[in-house]
Amino acid sequence: MPNIGFPEKALRLLLAAIAILWSCGPVYFIVAASFKDPVNIFAVPPTLIFEGTLDNYRLLFRDWPQFVQGLINSLIITVGATLLTIAVSTLAGYALARFRGRGLTASSFFLLLVRMFPPIVLTLPLFGFVNQLRMNDTHILLIVFYAAFFVSLSSWIMKSFIEGIPVELEESAAIDGASTWRILRSVILPLSANGIAASSVFIFVYSWNEYLYALIFTTRNARTAPLVLSEILGAVEGVQWGVLFAAVTVQLLPILIFVIAVQRFIMAGLTAGSVKG
Amino acid sequence: MRKSSVAPYLLLLPVLSLLVIVILIPALAAFTQSLSDAPIGRPSTFVGFKNYAQVLSDPNFWRAAINTFVIVNVVVFGEAILGLGLAVLAAGWMPLRGVFITALLVPYAVSEVSAIIMWRYLFEPDVGAANWVLETLFGVQLLWPINSIHGLTLVSIISIWLTLPFTFLILYSAIRTVPKDLIEAALVDGASRPQIFWSVTLNVIKPALLIAILFRYIFAMRLFAEVWLLTAGGPAGQTEVLSTYLYRFGFRYQNPGVASATGWIMLVMSLIVAAFYLRRLQKASPTNA
Repeated sequence: MPNIGFPEKALRLLLAAIAILWSCGPVYFIVAASFKDPVNIFAVPPTLIFEGTLDNYRLLFRDWPQFVQGLINSLIITVGATLLTIAVSTLAGYALARFRGRGLTASSFFLLLVRMFPPIVLTLPLFGFVNQLRMNDTHILLIVFYAAFFVSLSSWIMKSFIEGIPVELEESAAIDGASTWRILRSVILPLSANGIAASSVFIFVYSWNEYLYALIFTTRNARTAPLVLSEILGAVEGVQWGVLFAAVTVQLLPILIFVIAVQRFIMAGLTAGSVKG
Repeated sequence: MRKSSVAPYLLLLPVLSLLVIVILIPALAAFTQSLSDAPIGRPSTFVGFKNYAQVLSDPNFWRAAINTFVIVNVVVFGEAILGLGLAVLAAGWMPLRGVFITALLVPYAVSEVSAIIMWRYLFEPDVGAANWVLETLFGVQLLWPINSIHGLTLVSIISIWLTLPFTFLILYSAIRTVPKDLIEAALVDGASRPQIFWSVTLNVIKPALLIAILFRYIFAMRLFAEVWLLTAGGPAGQTEVLSTYLYRFGFRYQNPGVASATGWIMLVMSLIVAAFYLRRLQKASPTNA
């Protein structure tokens, strides 16, 4: 990097400030507004300094008990989908990383290909099947769907991480008489922790936030938090915006903290998995 | 590297069965459905390509298709340009680089529903802060509920906002792989910094840029919640996109034939883009055929 002068440094800082305002501004405004007295929420010009209140949160938990249920459902579905995805993609990633054959090449191509199918195309036939099986509005249904949409990416990420584990480790275990299953469990699994973390992030964030499939396949029992948010959005009038913003804040903060905490895995996963540069 | 026996297929079995049951069979079932004329769950009659003819002669479908096409291009190329700019910014002189990158990642954690609520709050006519700024500075507002161009603009802004972190990260990791000595050599040869960017940096990251664009193309086409929750396709169907058109026919008008035909049109369009993508991917990594 050549040395750069003061004007360019100032310009870079200005652009960075605009970029940060763009990406964090909308989040900041909502979170701040959730602590405002309802009458100040739409004050023009916006009030920047205000006395905080928890009234919106109080109203949220009083008037929208289904929101808490939605958060619980989201948590169950998110954890379930993540565990299922990791379990099956670790196996697949190992197969793709360590074995060769025409059937395996075809399988890895199939994995990529089905990712290209827009999920909305599948909703109608799935809706029919699900109704016949009487599985509508269950947690397991969304767990299986979400996992199916991410096992391809996760398998590719796992494949790429497992390829980085020296094959000699397995060979010496094999000489000692360990079975494939045993090698997988005691050699591969502990050494691919980073890969597991990287592929967990994507499915975790997706399941926590997904809207379309939750809209179509849940009605009450398995209704997720984003769906309840959209219901609150549909019901708010006038001063109730504060309740809505409180709900957005509660749904967002845990996943935001999670994303910030695991951001290095997001990068590792992107380079290892879907997109090779 | 071991020759394959039955073991790798057993290991692949769970993933392959999930994909076949949840994606492949329903996709094929949607194709059968698109060739038949029957409400969900009743015996169907084969009608050939009648549903496709109906879809392709429906002006509302073409409006949805054109809206989708415009939004996808605005979003994908907007993201590519902004993402490239941010990647250059983040890779150069930047104090607290880690904090800057974290700040750029924030929208990745936000759900589509919350993003719509956030941007609606900013652009609520007459009272939203962003509309207030626009009104004060330029005497205009983004009147998305009544003006379809404004509605599509806000939908595009929200989509870019939601996925820019993804495009940025790919391009940022690519820019960091540009060899330093290449840049130094070019500087010694007297190249200016814009010249270096165009002939060195851009050349090195071109494969990543192309893959990011194709990949985003495939995913941007799926746009649903942003439109459904913001304008619901209105006013008068003018902001409809392909997904909302499909959803309306499938789940509101109870017409699975037309909805599935729309779905397969979307699927074929995705696969055409995907063909370029897969080809490019194969070139980029010759070992993973």
